[in-house]
Amino acid sequence: MEFNGDILTIDMSISMEEVAEFEEFVRPRIDYIETIEVEEEGALRSSALISLLVSLKRTKPELKIPFLEKGVLVSQKYGTIHWICHD
Amino acid sequence: MTKQEQVKAIFIEEAGEIIEKLDIDIIRFEENCGDFNLLNEIFRGVHTLKGNANAFGFTRLGEFVHHFEDVLDHYRNTQESIEDHNLELFVGSVDVIKEVMNCELDAIATLPQSYDGCLEKIKNLISIKKNKPSFTQEPQESAAELKDLALEFGLSCVEQQQNSIERSIKDAQAKQSEGLSVYKIDLTLDSDCYKRGFDYLLFLNMLAQKALLLESFFNMEGIVEIESFKSGENYIGKVSVVVLTSLSRSEADEFFEFLFDHEYEINLITPPVVEVMEAVVKPSLEVAKAAADSGASNSMSSKSTIRIDTFKLDELFDSVGELVIAQNFIAQNDKIRSIDDESINRTIETLSKITKRIQDRVMSLRMVAIKDTFDKMKRVVRDTSKKTLKEVHLIVQGEDTEIDKTMIDSLSDPLIHIIRNAIDHGLESDADERIRVGKNTNGTVTLKAFHKSGNIVISVSDDGRGINKERVLAKAIERGVISGDENLSDSQIFSLIMQPGFSTAEAISDLSGRGVGLDVVKTSIEKLRGKIEIDSKEGEGTTFSMVLPLTLAIIDGMLVRTAGEIYIIPTLSVVESFRPEKEIVHVFKEKGEFVSLRGQYIPVMRLSDVFNLDAAKRIEPWEGILVCVETEGGRIAILVDELVGRQQVVIKTLGKTLAMLKEISGGAILGNGDIALILNVDELRPLVEVAHV
Repeated sequence: MEFNGDILTIDMSISMEEVAEFEEFVRPRIDYIETIEVEEEGALRSSALISLLVSLKRTKPELKIPFLEKGVLVSQKYGTIHWICHD
Repeated sequence: MTKQEQVKAIFIEEAGEIIEKLDIDIIRFEENCGDFNLLNEIFRGVHTLKGNANAFGFTRLGEFVHHFEDVLDHYRNTQESIEDHNLELFVGSVDVIKEVMNCELDAIATLPQSYDGCLEKIKNLISIKKNKPSFTQEPQESAAELKDLALEFGLSCVEQQQNSIERSIKDAQAKQSEGLSVYKIDLTLDSDCYKRGFDYLLFLNMLAQKALLLESFFNMEGIVEIESFKSGENYIGKVSVVVLTSLSRSEADEFFEFLFDHEYEINLITPPVVEVMEAVVKPSLEVAKAAADSGASNSMSSKSTIRIDTFKLDELFDSVGELVIAQNFIAQNDKIRSIDDESINRTIETLSKITKRIQDRVMSLRMVAIKDTFDKMKRVVRDTSKKTLKEVHLIVQGEDTEIDKTMIDSLSDPLIHIIRNAIDHGLESDADERIRVGKNTNGTVTLKAFHKSGNIVISVSDDGRGINKERVLAKAIERGVISGDENLSDSQIFSLIMQPGFSTAEAISDLSGRGVGLDVVKTSIEKLRGKIEIDSKEGEGTTFSMVLPLTLAIIDGMLVRTAGEIYIIPTLSVVESFRPEKEIVHVFKEKGEFVSLRGQYIPVMRLSDVFNLDAAKRIEPWEGILVCVETEGGRIAILVDELVGRQQVVIKTLGKTLAMLKEISGGAILGNGDIALILNVDELRPLVEVAHV
């Protein structure tokens, strides 16, 4: 996890425990974060990460999360995953 | 036998059948590697074998077939063309499976040499294939685009997702081929699923390993804002998965066996409704025709079979044999025949017909088409052709000919030997030699089965160089098999090559030419109450014909009477029978009686001498009948008082004491209840051997 200015960068392959840590980190700082970048190296390890990102987007609609906005993740490990999270 | 042992015995039998079929199918596939239905069939066999092997703790076999299954699965799903060296790997893999199975059955700790190498190649192949992206194709439309369109058309989030799922199903159906199914799986994991160790991704990963196409749709509507969010809880209400896979419904179910029933729902997507409607409106006759035309897959569903222990069949067969004897007794009993009552006569006649029908049907239960055995020979031809570097074209005829199951099992080894012999020694060494004598460069081996005079003939012909009679004779004299003074017919000369230790091959190969094969082949066929005939023309080719009885339990016999006793001579051995003129019967000092027939002196054999029958009833040859029979040592003429008739007799084994009489191969109960002995003509021969001129 890397916080550079108002851009928070996280790794897609974080574990369930790391998702919990990320949640603890981001909760009090959501107002200061403009963009969350997700590094797509490695494989997604927990669906809780997508849930958390959607939750953050729902809490702060102007938050930019390019990964989430793509709405799709193509992976050898899981096939093609789609999600639609607009309100 | 315990229940567990019984189940294991069934597994071993089934596994043997599967492996036998794999051996045949893999060669058929090699010949036509575009036949993906056949590849599917091979895959199913390997899959069943894997499950059974693991269930019975045959882990080494299980591991091998597991990886082999993966590689087959890849090719059948992608329908990618298979490279020649990989086809060779498949054929080799089936060989390894056969060998490992034997190791498992005999509890041999050492694995076959080829095991590790072959497994490594398979693993490498899987690794190469899996690194190529297959089902992870880029979606045709991005979610963002879909979202925009959805907004434009005013669709709700749920409606959008529903549309996407339907599109995905259509995509999957478009790629669907035989053996593949499309499922829509809805996962609705409870909020505590993460704590229970489950994640949607876990199931997607498992499915991905067995899928040709996998798309999932996460419904994020239930995600709460961050104030209420706890990352240890699952807020994803539903994930719909569309998968194109070879998995059966029950196999797919297994993936989710640790979930609660309400957490998953699997729906098999049936083909589009319109196609079903078309099928329904077809006139019934057309539907029936379509079903008939659609071949094996449909016929499989309409055929019902059960597995019966052959021991039970043998018992049934014996009982029917008794029934035939009892029926014959009634039909031929003088007292019953003298009853002047039409209804009784009609009843006896009906009983006779029904008995015959039952006998035929029970006989047919033991009969199986020789096709499977012939199919196995394709592999033998292929392997021998590669080893000898000779191009061979195999022609198979009459593969639907049926033969007794007991005989089928004993036929493979003789056939393998004869075929190898035909390719290794029968066919010319190289194409140039063939061209020089005006033949095609490719040698031809013809495998044929047909009925002839109540027997079954299985022949192996080659269009090679034929047997050189002079060389055979010279070799036979050199080995002391014959003295050189004999006046032998062509067939007798050719038969010499089946003598023990006889081989004219100049170079001994690992295929044939060791001089130990053909005599073993001959013995094997004789054990089946059959014989081998060889016909050859130099420069044109050779034919080995195995003449076999229809069944081992019944023989066609010629009933003869000598000194008041009835004997049965197997009709298969009988060449001719005649009453000789006094002039053609000769007696040679210390050599015995001979009959001169068409320029050949044939020794006369008196059954009364062999079995020490009443000397007072001794007759002269011209007073009786000579039955000329073919034996392994040449022709002999058996002198009998009279011919009684010809009939099918049920062979009964004799007790231990009588079994010592080599001249007798068994007994039979005749219609009148009398017992007749069946002659073993080959064992009659040594008694007159000294008299042979």
